Amino acid sequence: MTDFQSPLIELRGVVKNYVTKAGSFPALQGIDLDIYRGEFLGVIGKSGAGKSTLLNMITGVDQISAGQVRAHTNGTSVNLDQLSENELTLWRGRNLGVIYQSFQLLPMLTLAQNVMMPMDLSGFYHPRKSKERALELLNMVELGEHIDKYPSEISGGQQQRVAIARALANDPPLLVADEPTGSLDSVTADHIFKLFQRLLDDNRTIIMVTHDQGLLPRFSRYIQIADGQLVGEGIEL
Amino acid sequence: MRPRWRKVLSDLIDNKARTILVVFSIAVGIFAIGVIAGAYVIISEDMGLSYAANNPSNIEIRMDDFDQDLLNTIRNFEGIKEAEARRVFNLKVRIPGETQWITVDVVSMKNFDENKINLLQPVTGGAAPEKNQILLERDVLEELNISPGENLEIQLRDETIKEIIVAGIVMDSSTGAIDFLAPPLAYITSDTLKFFAEPDQFNRIFATVETGQDDDEHIRSVIADLTDKIEKNDYGIGRTFRSKTHEHPLEPTINAVLGILMVLGVLIVFLSSSLIANTLSALLNQHLRHIGVMKLIGGQNQIIFRMYLVQLLVFGFLALLIAIPAGGQGAYWLAQYIADEMGFSLLGYRIVPLSFALQLAVGILVPLVSGFIPVINGSKVTVQKALDGDRVRRSSGEDSEGKEEGSRFEEIQVKTTRALADRGIRIPRQMLISLRNTFRQRGRLMLTLFTLTMGGAIFVSVFNVRDTLHTYVDNIGNYFMADVTLDFERPYRLEEIKQYAYQDPRVTHVEGWSYASAEILFPDGSTAENISILAPPGGSDLVSPMMIEGRWIQAGDVKKLTVAEGIYDYYPNLEVGDTIPLKINGKEEYWEVVGLFKFIGLEGVIGYAPYEYISREQNLANRSFSYRIEIQEHDLASQEVMAKDLDAYFRAQGFRVQEATPGLSTLDSAAESLDILITFLLIMALLTATVGSMGLAGTMSMNVLERTREIGIMRAIGATDLEIIRMVIVEGLLIGLLSFGLGIILAVPFTYLLSNIVSDAVFATPIAVVFTPAGYLIWLGLVIILSSLASVLPARNAARLTIREVLAYE
Ligand SMILES: Nc1ncnc2c1ncn2[C@@H]1O[C@H](COP(=O)(O)OP(=O)(O)O)[C@@H](O)[C@H]1O
Ligand SMILES: [Mg+2]
Repeated sequence: MTDFQSPLIELRGVVKNYVTKAGSFPALQGIDLDIYRGEFLGVIGKSGAGKSTLLNMITGVDQISAGQVRAHTNGTSVNLDQLSENELTLWRGRNLGVIYQSFQLLPMLTLAQNVMMPMDLSGFYHPRKSKERALELLNMVELGEHIDKYPSEISGGQQQRVAIARALANDPPLLVADEPTGSLDSVTADHIFKLFQRLLDDNRTIIMVTHDQGLLPRFSRYIQIADGQLVGEGIEL
Repeated sequence: MRPRWRKVLSDLIDNKARTILVVFSIAVGIFAIGVIAGAYVIISEDMGLSYAANNPSNIEIRMDDFDQDLLNTIRNFEGIKEAEARRVFNLKVRIPGETQWITVDVVSMKNFDENKINLLQPVTGGAAPEKNQILLERDVLEELNISPGENLEIQLRDETIKEIIVAGIVMDSSTGAIDFLAPPLAYITSDTLKFFAEPDQFNRIFATVETGQDDDEHIRSVIADLTDKIEKNDYGIGRTFRSKTHEHPLEPTINAVLGILMVLGVLIVFLSSSLIANTLSALLNQHLRHIGVMKLIGGQNQIIFRMYLVQLLVFGFLALLIAIPAGGQGAYWLAQYIADEMGFSLLGYRIVPLSFALQLAVGILVPLVSGFIPVINGSKVTVQKALDGDRVRRSSGEDSEGKEEGSRFEEIQVKTTRALADRGIRIPRQMLISLRNTFRQRGRLMLTLFTLTMGGAIFVSVFNVRDTLHTYVDNIGNYFMADVTLDFERPYRLEEIKQYAYQDPRVTHVEGWSYASAEILFPDGSTAENISILAPPGGSDLVSPMMIEGRWIQAGDVKKLTVAEGIYDYYPNLEVGDTIPLKINGKEEYWEVVGLFKFIGLEGVIGYAPYEYISREQNLANRSFSYRIEIQEHDLASQEVMAKDLDAYFRAQGFRVQEATPGLSTLDSAAESLDILITFLLIMALLTATVGSMGLAGTMSMNVLERTREIGIMRAIGATDLEIIRMVIVEGLLIGLLSFGLGIILAVPFTYLLSNIVSDAVFATPIAVVFTPAGYLIWLGLVIILSSLASVLPARNAARLTIREVLAYE
């Protein structure tokens, strides 16, 4: 389903240097990359290769040192580095769902409330509507019976599914996942991938970071990075 | 509920201890402000009104005996609206069958129903006595337990003891309001005077002025004209007093005292703010990850900011919920207490809008202002920084500096430890860990130290001020060193009295003193103020003055005097060697001021001149009405016994004794009323100490919470509960002791400041500051106890953590 005509995100000469006491450390050294609508892009590399840094550039969570990240979502095109903090937050809320290895659910809220939170913060949905939508999403990730539980009361795999439901709350075209299965066993991870597949069928784009070479066959396309540089790429097998 | 408010609510509920700590510390400040502001308003409204309600005299003149004719003259005098004449004399009374006599001032009136000035308020029983009955002012009840209808035993001058029935208890908020050291009052009608063997004549005038009842200058000028008139009629005048109609004579003093308390209240608010700032920056630190998540999923800065702002407002609201009712009640209670002490009544419980508004403002502003910076910083934090706290902190510029200092600190510590070890002194490893932990969160440590140090400094200062005031009162006592003062109704030869007095082996020294009542005049001849000139013999040892300038009196002085610094009110540029105009013994004369001394600045001016000169001028050479007697034992009990014995002895020998008073009785009650003030200061000091130790408790639990993982690791490698508890408590104690060290330094300027403000309010003069170890010792003990207590709970929580919980902690 990938639409190779119009990229969703374009990275051009992206450089990220971390300034540390020891001096400037180049975590990304000029990355050029297009991310297309509908693809399941895997970003593969060893620990410390710069995968998370690359994701942070795409989500706008950290500042780019040189180069450009352009996004063409919801009919508009923006240069991420030209947005203010608040505009970025708003853009992210509308266009991106982010999923982390460590789930990052708010422990004091129930599952339903966790999923409602993005809708509440962005204000895209009326509060009553957002409740309905949260239930739908939790049903979709097969957690419809646990909506009033707290994150600490469910398993890791279930928490990650809640995180996915939350990432989908504002109906974003793009999902960004940093090692989403990293702390899950293979059966549970399988479950997550099945979920991803359904989202892809639903015309969403997913970028997923992993250090696990074994996951390669799961992606529609993959890139490989080492020491902050693109060292290879491939298309679905 | 929207998820964001759900989160705010959960944050408030989940950490109850923190919510309570913050709410309580805001509440303490609001409470203190509310109590003081409320009491201030209630008192300034009610004190004046309740005082004015009884039509207080503007003018009181104590003078020779006079009759209705003179009263009529005075009533018709220009500028006088109403005038009443009374006879006032003192008397000993007791409950029949008991041994303890107390002195009361008996006021006789012609007609209680027609009385227009210094009205009495009935409390219980009748409001007007019948013939041969007596009314008591309610102050008497503090010393005698008696009710209307019961009998009171009285002792007349000639030692006869009689019984008289108590008609009722009244409140008199006017007579004696100026002079809160005066004995309590009792009232009879003029036709009861015979029963007391007193002449049916008046000796006091109470009058109101026609216009300008609240104009001190005007009242003064009416008094000057009136006393001229009375003296032209050949009557001698003792003293005059003036007071405004709508201002209780003690109101300025009480307002000054409340002002001091208010300053402390504001300080408490200030301290609690720093405690809140501390707690909130810890809270936001802990919430860093939550903030990061919310930003990641679309929460803009202002939304996050608003969420925490609401949390702050909820803190304030909860604090108001506690503090407003408590503060209102406390204000009324404080006002009631002061009203009871000062003898006026309140108009009733009410909510004071001013103090309500102040409390509301404090309750809203304090959390907002003190939480603003932490909340702004927290809501501005970037997602990256929030989600990846550790790594960012390690690499970002600002904190690396702190890290370096930290390692420098460790370096110093290692060096000192080694140096100490070389000398055979070993600091236990546990102690070293506590020491290092103490300095880990420097910003937090600073704020905690600040709060606790201020609390301690105020605490210690209050004790110093207490001793300062007491020392001053003792020094004032050096003007009244006689053990017994023996006053006669007529003058006796010095030799004669001495001869009799020395019969008693306890008597070691006898002096006859003179006394002259005079007026200080302005250069234009108008009256400035009354002056009481005491005249001890030239070389008397019974006065040990606090000289400011010049010298003390000498036997050979002629028309020379030393005068209390109160004179500066009228002659601000007076210097030793200057002459001032006096009206003395009916003549206007110029006297040279040879010295100035310190004295309580209330109630007119006092001066000293030698007996040798004054007695000659009064044609009383070698004779005196009044004798000062020194005995072997100087305690109050011996003085009381001696006073009684001398009284009885001289009467038995046929002398006409007026009164024998033991030495320090009046000063004791002066010290007592100071103690009321000190009590309030101490309450405020305790409140500040409370806020300080709440700050410490908060800091300790934040420290422990943030080190949960570390404590877990320590446990995993075998640290026992006891070792962990000890580690935390030692850290708390270190902070406590550090604040003690800083506090005792800060207490020095605080003591000066506080004692200057207080002495200015109470004595109208700055006084020499005295430092006492008591405050330091008590605070040391308190700080040790408080800081151990403040750490015990967090320490126990730390020890209770299981390794599983620790690893689950995120
Ligand atoms: N905030 C930071 N400051 C300094 N160095 C960083 C920071 N974040 C990441 N790095 C470094 O950049 C490199 C890439 O990190 P990252 O993108 O997290 O790798 P990974 O591929 O494991 O996700 C690593 O060497 C890491 O140490
Ligand atoms: Mg990574």
